[in-house]
Amino acid sequence: MKPDKHTKQDFPSALSYTGVWLVGFLLCLMTLPHSVFAQDDVPRTTIYVAGPENNPTLTQHMTGLLAKALGQGVSLRPFESGQTSQDSDSLAITLGPEAFTQVRQESRSVPILALMVDSAFIEGYFGRSEGRVGAVLYSPPLIRQVAAGKAILPHATHVAMLATPESVELYEGLMDQLADLGMEGRVFIVSQNDNLIPTLIRALGYGDFLLAAPDSDIYNPRTIKHVLLTTYRRNRIVIGPSRAYVRAGALASNYAPLKNIADEAAQQVAGYQQAGRFPAPSYPDTFKLEINRQVARSLNIPLPTEEELRAAIELRLSSLRESNDE
Amino acid sequence: MPVTNRLAKTSSVNLIRHNLCPLNALILASAWLFLSPAIADDSEPSSQLSEPELLEPPLPEVLTTTRLRQPKSKVPGTTTIIEGDLIRDLGVMNLVEVFRLVPGMTVTEVGSNNPVTSYHGTVHYEQRRLQIQVDGRTSYRASLSDTDWHTMPVPLELIERIEVSRGPNSAAHGINAFLGTVNIITRSPDDTAGVQLGAASGSRGYLRTFGSVGSASEPYSWRLAYEKRRSDGFDRQVDGGQLYPFNDGYNMNTFSYDGIARLTDQLNLELRGGVVDGINEEDLRKNGKFGATDDPNIIVDDYYLQTRLNVTTSNTHFYHLQVSYQNYQRRQRWPICIPAPVLDNMIAGNPPDSDFDPGDCSPGDTPAPLVANLNEDIEESRLEFELQDTLYFRPDLKLVSGLGYRRDTFRSETFFNGRGNNYQSRAFVNAEYSPFEWVTLNAGGNWETTTTTDEGYFSPRVATNFIISENQAIRFVYSEAVRTPDAFEQTPDWSYRPSNVRAPYTALEGRRFRVEDLVDPTTSTFGQELEEERIVSREVSYFGQFYMSHALMSLELRYFNDELRDMISGVINEEDWFIANNVALDQEGFEVEGSLDYAHTKLRATYAYLDQDGWYTGQPDALNADDQDYVVELLGRLSVRHSGSFSWIQKLPFNLTSAATFYWADEFRRSQFERADFRIARRIDASRYSYELALTMQHYLNRDPELSPDNLISDHNQFFVEAGVRF
Repeated sequence: MKPDKHTKQDFPSALSYTGVWLVGFLLCLMTLPHSVFAQDDVPRTTIYVAGPENNPTLTQHMTGLLAKALGQGVSLRPFESGQTSQDSDSLAITLGPEAFTQVRQESRSVPILALMVDSAFIEGYFGRSEGRVGAVLYSPPLIRQVAAGKAILPHATHVAMLATPESVELYEGLMDQLADLGMEGRVFIVSQNDNLIPTLIRALGYGDFLLAAPDSDIYNPRTIKHVLLTTYRRNRIVIGPSRAYVRAGALASNYAPLKNIADEAAQQVAGYQQAGRFPAPSYPDTFKLEINRQVARSLNIPLPTEEELRAAIELRLSSLRESNDE
Repeated sequence: MPVTNRLAKTSSVNLIRHNLCPLNALILASAWLFLSPAIADDSEPSSQLSEPELLEPPLPEVLTTTRLRQPKSKVPGTTTIIEGDLIRDLGVMNLVEVFRLVPGMTVTEVGSNNPVTSYHGTVHYEQRRLQIQVDGRTSYRASLSDTDWHTMPVPLELIERIEVSRGPNSAAHGINAFLGTVNIITRSPDDTAGVQLGAASGSRGYLRTFGSVGSASEPYSWRLAYEKRRSDGFDRQVDGGQLYPFNDGYNMNTFSYDGIARLTDQLNLELRGGVVDGINEEDLRKNGKFGATDDPNIIVDDYYLQTRLNVTTSNTHFYHLQVSYQNYQRRQRWPICIPAPVLDNMIAGNPPDSDFDPGDCSPGDTPAPLVANLNEDIEESRLEFELQDTLYFRPDLKLVSGLGYRRDTFRSETFFNGRGNNYQSRAFVNAEYSPFEWVTLNAGGNWETTTTTDEGYFSPRVATNFIISENQAIRFVYSEAVRTPDAFEQTPDWSYRPSNVRAPYTALEGRRFRVEDLVDPTTSTFGQELEEERIVSREVSYFGQFYMSHALMSLELRYFNDELRDMISGVINEEDWFIANNVALDQEGFEVEGSLDYAHTKLRATYAYLDQDGWYTGQPDALNADDQDYVVELLGRLSVRHSGSFSWIQKLPFNLTSAATFYWADEFRRSQFERADFRIARRIDASRYSYELALTMQHYLNRDPELSPDNLISDHNQFFVEAGVRF
């Protein structure tokens, strides 16, 4: 990465401008981030940001958060198709799998920090990139989701999962960890679309709650209504896969706020700048919990505060880590 | 080398970092101010575009207010909810036995193995004072106000849950929700897609087979289900100190079809239909009338149709229109042989000698007896409309209101000398208001008119729920309710017409023998007008749920104090007819329902204490002192002072689940009921199917019949095996 020097901007004299200019200046003072002003004397590194084409608002929002997290020494610029032919050394931060693929297809040598991707997607790239691909994982670890389910239903012992033959691997790593939480789990395979509800019914007969991973074959706008209603009517709850599903009627899901992702991204960028390679893909340090209290009340499930639940989740996960360390 | 940023103009962040003229800065600053709410600090999601919406396309809210059940802490009264899974896990073999799990409810059998249940007693043969609904459809018989549990078209496998509102609930469900309301909710066809098969077999000829097939999809979901229920009933009966076989089994077949059509996002149509067909055995010795020479078995032919249109106009307003039609047909015919002297006595207008024993009369006797057929055929139907509207003015103010109309039709040559109708119309409303987080107020009432008494009645209920915390509440409930007499009590025209009469009595073919002429005239109230029964009920109850270590504890306590006035009691049979509004009851007590859910263990317990005092309030000279005591006693035959249950479900290794349940009621007229059930089940989830095998043992600790001396079981250990598979 190369520093990007900017010329110092002359400060206008208030006496030589009209009141309109003064107002404009004051507004700038009030509204613009401090970093914007403080940058001018500092050599700056350019990082390109590539977001999903169909969601410029997200790109804009995330760029703002990254700018805050990365600080004054970094200049963020939108990634543009074809630019890697001119600059293949500057770091690119991609938002989501689509943007990652776009940048990666342009150049396999561009260092990329992938945000908003899942472990299953990025791990192969990371393994082959010799440290030039890093990632801050987006979806919460499934074991954290299970811990949330256990915190909400302390008496739960069985967790049910639904997957297609193609997506069953999503739950592969989880199964070995469940025992450490005092849980047993089973993945019920939905072999055809028509089998979703019959399989769900069997799964609900097994599990105290349904764990939903980000699997668009199973959980999508077309299926979620049936899944949530059937689960609710059978007095079961759904944990995961994301906040949007909680708003639809799932009981809870962990999530990483974008600010935390941006902060974690800043740390990884700093690590890359120092070591010349990215560490293994990681999750943000902190998660929050989205809860649908209305559904909990209706099911007569007493819920502690979000802070207490998060503490309970962390406690379970820390004991899990300790047992793994041993 | 940095590349030129050709898209810089599209990014406010980058633009601001570039050399800006003050005018541009002013414009951009204004734009930033305008945009900043949408992309503000993400710890404060914007009201315009929140973080989840940035990341994922928004999903429709599925579990909206319109679909969620009311939390217990806000319900205006105590409600027991029995989940279908609990019923199956405990190995309950008959629907009516579920009610032993409800505090204050008792279950037993009368007559030839006819199940009866009640909340706080007051009934015996007919369960007149509970409103029984299946999926919102009134399900007690129209003219006799009785509930036939053998023919209830509800397979155990299809029960989603049973809600029992304990206490008068006329404000919501109309007259006859006098002591409580039972609402049996079956699974939606959305929840039963696929194939399910099951069978259970056991002691006393018990057999139950079940099968369902269905599909769930967005435009239409459906289910076709079949169930056979069969039992041989009790093993023996006693008559004159001798034991005899008891013909008191049943054999029922139920077919049902359920469908849901989703016409738009806001509108769906539920369709239900079913047929019940079978035989309910009645014993000649026990129930044979007028010299019956064969068992007067009842042939059952019932059907129902129901449709419900659900309309959701917004998140704060929804309503439904429900129409149902039910037809209950019972054919009960038996041959008789009445010795000539007895017949002559009856024709002379004297009360019949009912002390017949099988074999006392045969067609070849001299002088020739009357040989003919009698029947108690009856066909009842009910047409019911209900419109219910729910409107949330604000999150803290909800109004439920509606209209209902019912036409009960009865056709019976024997009981009504033809056909008759009763009409009921009602309007109901309930407002729920939570002015503060810690209190919810409910006020509602039901205005109803019925042609049974040609009067109108208002049944109010007010309740205050003090919400201690999100899952704890103390309720104070005051309610009033009425029960009107049923058609047979109010307008009987009861007679028997012999058919297929053999010589030399062929002249009696079709002649009416009026029961009014046969009953004891000194006590008869036949045809006298009855008034409504009234109850005033006060309840203080507590509901709470807590986590105790790693267990979820639920506790519900109810104290009640009821005044029941103008209760109808007395005897209705071919020899005596004296019923009147002649008993008053005061009752109070308390009930406990609690559960503890541990990781592998579920414990559940109920207990009810009932103190009931009754006294005669009828005309002093209408009955002698013994009969006055008797009519008071009649209302207490199902009232027990102590009753309860305790259940323990344990998950075991190897996919095994055990359940142990103890039921007791102390005591009925003859004895207490005490039974312990044990069940062990193994469930296997294979890749494409799941199956379960189970063994259940019912152990009768008390071997004496609790109510009827004829309810004799040879072996106090009863065994049942079950197998079920789901694809």
